[in-house]
Amino acid sequence: MHGLTRPLVCALALWAATGCRNQVTLEELEPAEIETTVFLVGDAGEPDPRQVGPPLDSLTAQAAAAPERSIILFLGDNVYPAGIPAEGAAEWADARRRVESQVRAVPPGAQGIFVPGNHDWSDGGPFGLYSIRLQERFISSFAPGRSVRLLPGNGCPGPVAMDVGRLRLVSLDTQWWLHSFIVRDSVSNCPTNSFATVTAALRTQVRPTGDARIVVVAAHHPLITGGVHGSYCGVTGPFRRFGGRSQDIMSSANRRMRDSLRSAFSGRPPLAFVAGHDHSLQVLRGGEDVDYLLVSGAGSPSRVSCAVRMRESYYVSARSAGFMRLDIMKGKGVLLRVFRYPGRSTGALVYSRWLEPR
Amino acid sequence: MSVRSFVFAAGFFLPQLVAGQASSLPVLASEATPIGALPPLALPMPASRDHNYWGTRLQVGQRRERGLEDLLAIAGGVDYQVRGGSIFGVTAGYQWRQNCQSATGDCGHTLYGARARFNLITGGPTIAGLLGDDGATSTLGTELGFGFAPDVSGNQNACTLDLGVPLSIAMLERLHLVTFLTPGIVWDLDCSAGDTRPQRSYFLGLGVGLQQLGFRGLDVHLGLQRMFRGATGVQFGLSVSWIRLP
Repeated sequence: MHGLTRPLVCALALWAATGCRNQVTLEELEPAEIETTVFLVGDAGEPDPRQVGPPLDSLTAQAAAAPERSIILFLGDNVYPAGIPAEGAAEWADARRRVESQVRAVPPGAQGIFVPGNHDWSDGGPFGLYSIRLQERFISSFAPGRSVRLLPGNGCPGPVAMDVGRLRLVSLDTQWWLHSFIVRDSVSNCPTNSFATVTAALRTQVRPTGDARIVVVAAHHPLITGGVHGSYCGVTGPFRRFGGRSQDIMSSANRRMRDSLRSAFSGRPPLAFVAGHDHSLQVLRGGEDVDYLLVSGAGSPSRVSCAVRMRESYYVSARSAGFMRLDIMKGKGVLLRVFRYPGRSTGALVYSRWLEPR
Repeated sequence: MSVRSFVFAAGFFLPQLVAGQASSLPVLASEATPIGALPPLALPMPASRDHNYWGTRLQVGQRRERGLEDLLAIAGGVDYQVRGGSIFGVTAGYQWRQNCQSATGDCGHTLYGARARFNLITGGPTIAGLLGDDGATSTLGTELGFGFAPDVSGNQNACTLDLGVPLSIAMLERLHLVTFLTPGIVWDLDCSAGDTRPQRSYFLGLGVGLQQLGFRGLDVHLGLQRMFRGATGVQFGLSVSWIRLP
């Protein structure tokens, strides 16, 4: 056996070294070659009340460099802990502040899109539908004359498609699928109002005409995650399942939603499904129905949490604030970059990957 | 023999039962079944909750420093990982004595096993902090195994039941390095026709591995195991496992 040990160890070392050679280099792009830049930041609804810090200030600085081609996508949970309360509630002014600080992070000329999350729906409470409508009104009032909005709006589930150059961005309100209280009323007037119609509309919208179009689907809840809501980080899967929280991947309600969304993607996989919900940064292999799954829910430094590396993980950053940036190149190529801020004054580009090769 | 002693008893020293074969060293049941014949493994790497995963495994192990004869075993297995977490597997293989002194030619036997490994707690920010690696993941679990080796010597069968408490710590970004430690206990069960003495052994398995080695489903582990009982020596071996991702 001793005779076998040395060759085996050498073979392992060689194999390992081969893996190391595939390190992704940090790409610097010519600004003129970039068609559209999408910034992904989620769960940013707990900004510091004293000062604007990372990651929002860094994100703003990057977007301000070329606002005309920048889209900032807030991936839900825009107001912790329970969305916008009714006017007159003690939490009302602070909730307003939380929305305002994010709207102000969108530089003039850039587009801001807020996707609803479970906390925005009054943390899944009975006031949820009204809370999300109040948030939509707040967002509009803070950005007069600017393109900053909540999508989908009015408590509707979506999907809502937006075309910008080669990009088709499809927004969904996934909390609508999981909410246990009222999700529509006499003023809803939503183009889709059932699981089946949402899935059918999504199936159509992820199949745009033109082969060169890049499809990115944005929602709050991820399709897979190695974080707390994926039944990792603490007591694991089978035991958490007994809790039955619809916010967790292993619950039946969540699974029904994810199965429906994936069924809409089959045959024409979007380039990426981007989400927040878990307070970490994860780049994941999507599988057959979607090429990449991005979890960018580390927008609030005070809320960052654990994530484990899974077999599907390309990159995982736990317990650090940060955001992701997608650069859609003219002609061909989509570059993902991940920025991570472990401290108040420290942060850097930590990962990059061509999601669509140039 | 009582049912009770059948269930929870009986380590045996096989060649002792073969008259005239004193030159061949005894093999404990816990050395002849997968728990002692094959190297320990780390807890499975987490994966998406959307799928169940099939995998295969090849293991080679050698038990050394137990006297004249070393024990060499090779086995293959099939694993099933449920929802990216706990894993259930079956194993079949062959073990033989090197430098076998048996006059009857009883120098090898087949071995079979079934094993369930449950991930109980994953995450571990404290351990990650201690290691200075934010991406480090610790997993604490438990594993339960049953082993069977027929005709280890003459008509004597070996059966074992084992219980372990594995701890795995995985770290690094590009190369996923995992170290693991598994203290446990193994009971030799009497599954032959003779009276045997009840035996229980404690063991400690440890090792290192590289997960996702070149391919996303490929893991390689080097394992070491010490059984705290008599002249059982040290088990050392290599495991290569492959999980099929959809």
